[in-house]
Amino acid sequence: MKLEFSGSRALILGGSCDLALYLAESMIKVNLLPILTYRDENDHKKISNILSSFAGKYETVYLDFADIASLDALFCKIKDDLDFMVDFAQGDIEGLIASANPDDISRYFEQNISFRAKILKKAGRAMLKKKKGRLVFISSSAAAKPNPGQGFYAAAKLASEALYKNLGLELGSRGITTVTLRPGYIDTGRGKAYMQGREKEVLRRVPTRKAITAQEVTDTVLFFLSKSAAGFNAVEIAMDGGLTAGK
Amino acid sequence: MDILKKTKEILAEILDIDEEEIAPETYLIRDMNAESIDLLELAVALNSAFNIKINDDEIFLRNLRPYLTEAKEKQADEVAYLLENFPFLTKDRMTQILDDLQGGPVLKVKDLAGYVAWREETS
Repeated sequence: MKLEFSGSRALILGGSCDLALYLAESMIKVNLLPILTYRDENDHKKISNILSSFAGKYETVYLDFADIASLDALFCKIKDDLDFMVDFAQGDIEGLIASANPDDISRYFEQNISFRAKILKKAGRAMLKKKKGRLVFISSSAAAKPNPGQGFYAAAKLASEALYKNLGLELGSRGITTVTLRPGYIDTGRGKAYMQGREKEVLRRVPTRKAITAQEVTDTVLFFLSKSAAGFNAVEIAMDGGLTAGK
Repeated sequence: MDILKKTKEILAEILDIDEEEIAPETYLIRDMNAESIDLLELAVALNSAFNIKINDDEIFLRNLRPYLTEAKEKQADEVAYLLENFPFLTKDRMTQILDDLQGGPVLKVKDLAGYVAWREETS
């Protein structure tokens, strides 16, 4: 199936993670312009190294979820010119709720929920100027079925899903739509690290007995950005081999 | 650029009505049935057309009633207190607004134009 797109400029939040970089490559191959966010120089270098053969076909922009000025600067830099947004950004936190540091809890939710709402406000208004736009939030199967220690992560994902869903409800009539993807165990990034040494035990819980590949995720995200997926809006879709479907 | 004319053009497009039907004294919500999504689009369009920063709460007089309550609690002069929070309105207009509150949402087309002019002057 040949995918067609309404527009070309795609902001990728969390642009230095492995999945974001796979997606950027896939986007470039279909003539989209990925604009990848980075949080520090190490992330910036990682993006430059991995996409070195695509110079001039992507852009990078600084964004730190702890720095509101970086958000204003980002939208100033891209001149509010945005067709798509794919959101991989998520702070890492793992720990039991009853043992968490109160300051860490506040900071985590401020950065991963409140800041994201501010991004959505900016992106929504930028897209309203063009009267079109598509946003894809990369959530997690942990939103539906968290492991012990994932309470804050799952709470932030669920709250973010709600923000994306409402944005799609509120701006759908103006051509701006949202989709949330909930991948299960992925054989890259944090998923790969989690499965290291216990792959069989982890995958026994997945009906298909397989991890999701990075290629599968990026193909699916591209599909959701395409005209073919226009009917999806304000919805969460599991991509987890059936992990969260059963008991 | 004629601020009032451009504002009317934008309103006509967003609300899908004839520009001739829009006057400075036209109420956005009472007369034109503008909804919250329309106001959001309007804020974005005014920002784009005039290249000014728009504070939705200010331009749409969103906190008028809470500020009025505050003024009463503080036993402050109501008009003066509200003008501190909505400095783009004139004293006469604020007095009109207070007399008109019982009738429903008070925002008029001329208030939008006043906001744009004030933003242009102060930016």
